[in-house]
Amino acid sequence: MPIIEVKNLAKKYPLPDKKSEFFYAVDGISLSIEAGEIFGILGPNGAGKTTTLEMLEGLNDIDSGTAFIDGIDVAADPYSVKEIIGVQLQANEYFDNVSLSELLTLFATLYAREVDTDELLGRVNLLDKAQAKPDNLSGGQKQRFSIACALVNTPKVLFLDEPTTGLDPQAKHNLWDLVRELNNAGMTIVLTTHNMEEAESLCERIAIMDHGKLVAEDTPQNLILKHAPEPPQAPLHGNIEDVFLALTGHGLRD
Amino acid sequence: MPSKLQLHLAKVFLKIFLRDRQSIFFSLFFPIIFMTVFAFANNGEVDPIELGIVNNSPSAVANDFSQMLIDNPLFEVTLGEEEQLRAELVEGNQTMVLILPEGFDAQSDGAELQLLVDAAQVQQLSLIMPLLEQTLISIEREFRNIEPMFTLTVEDVQARSQRYLDFLLPGLLAFTLMQLSIAGSGFNIVEYRRKGILKRLFVTPIRPRDFIASIVMARMAIVLIQLTVLILVAVLVLNVTIVGNFVSFYFIVMLGTFIFLCLGFCLGSIAKTQQAVMAVGNIVIFPQIFLSGVFYPIESMPELIQPIAKILPLSFVSTAMREIANNGASLLSIAPSLFGIALWFVIAFILATRLFVWKEVAN
Repeated sequence: MPIIEVKNLAKKYPLPDKKSEFFYAVDGISLSIEAGEIFGILGPNGAGKTTTLEMLEGLNDIDSGTAFIDGIDVAADPYSVKEIIGVQLQANEYFDNVSLSELLTLFATLYAREVDTDELLGRVNLLDKAQAKPDNLSGGQKQRFSIACALVNTPKVLFLDEPTTGLDPQAKHNLWDLVRELNNAGMTIVLTTHNMEEAESLCERIAIMDHGKLVAEDTPQNLILKHAPEPPQAPLHGNIEDVFLALTGHGLRD
Repeated sequence: MPSKLQLHLAKVFLKIFLRDRQSIFFSLFFPIIFMTVFAFANNGEVDPIELGIVNNSPSAVANDFSQMLIDNPLFEVTLGEEEQLRAELVEGNQTMVLILPEGFDAQSDGAELQLLVDAAQVQQLSLIMPLLEQTLISIEREFRNIEPMFTLTVEDVQARSQRYLDFLLPGLLAFTLMQLSIAGSGFNIVEYRRKGILKRLFVTPIRPRDFIASIVMARMAIVLIQLTVLILVAVLVLNVTIVGNFVSFYFIVMLGTFIFLCLGFCLGSIAKTQQAVMAVGNIVIFPQIFLSGVFYPIESMPELIQPIAKILPLSFVSTAMREIANNGASLLSIAPSLFGIALWFVIAFILATRLFVWKEVAN
């Protein structure tokens, strides 16, 4: 049963140089995301990935079309939707001078919940940083902390906006493991990414967007079968990332 | 009643402020330094005028005359030779030199006293001449045994001494509360938006009113704490007198804080960058520093500016605070200021609720 249902979703903005004319950042997207799925949205910069997520999260007004999450109309009842989703944004800065466990308690309070901060930090591998300030975290730690913040309300759907951008391979693989773990526990995960390997190995289904439109949507295997060009006669085995990991190991660096 | 969420968020905002030692230091540093400077520079007494006397007369009258001037606290008298005192006058060690002629005695009839002045100090001459003449007249009366026709007694109707510092303190407190409030809402909101914190909060179920209420509560607490520290320093260390009722005083403080927090929310909603909010903030803050009677009375400003100055929000707040602190005014007796404060309260509140739109402010 689909947990997210999107029909003809659109968002238009006035053109920067001609205010009277519009361009469509998102142009009639329709998606159906199953409960328990890891769904990836791919696309070049400016394709409309983040805008699509922001409309689902209630951050951006929906100009036309409909979006339902777990049967709730996002446009009509955004506050009910906020209760059941968890969101990790691209910007992951927080208040100064507040420790990780204090921030988690704060986020839980916003959902009128109590949370075991140590247990939550343990799940994202940050228990030893409970008293640290977000400013003192590395990139990977910051992303894991962002996910911890998004989990305080044990959401049904978790939105991740480019979660591995800027992470080193160790941190990236560690984050993938975390995402798989959450998914195994039954959480639906929707993520945007520029990383093809991430899309291929992590996501069960992928949507590819360009110029605000959906250009393809399927499982990674089917997309490759349908769209990938014929392989060259003698393909190289492996890639640079395999080399990098073989040389530097899988141990997490923070 | 504030909800649990609002109280928790307010507590977090308060914690953030209290952990920021640097900004606490600077928000207290300026007013304290300012008060201290005025406490020492302006302790209610006029600096004595340095007066050199060259006494060329051997008479008792000349001696008594010199003695009267020496006894007068307005003068710091040096007796000496003309040549030496002239040199000191040129060097600036004496403000003026008085020369008593040889024929200055009880029998003298219109003896001419010579006053040497430093041209740079001429302004003081109009102050000093009557004093010297007064001293001469009283000495003349004494020797001729004439009873004065009139005596002048000065009565201070305020019935207590008012130093400049007493006047300054309420203004300075009003100024501090304005700064803390506008920074607390306006500058912070722009900072939170820049960091993406507002966006992050927006995807949780928090309502805009919860966010605003908690900032208002936290800032209110911060302003009350800071002002109390300043009042304690002023009263205990610098001997400033506050005669009014503290409940009324803090009531005005809270109303003022609310007005400037609302204006801050307006600024934070309009200005999108830190530079812009600083610029727009200065447009609001700067004229009020000079025009709102913080450092000197509005009545001493040019007639043309006074009507504008009087309707600024900080004017109403600082006037009300000063009336209470300096004159012990009751809330009833400062009704005009209270009316102005109430009007600004409504204007600022309506503006803030119109301009602060969660979705737009967050993005």
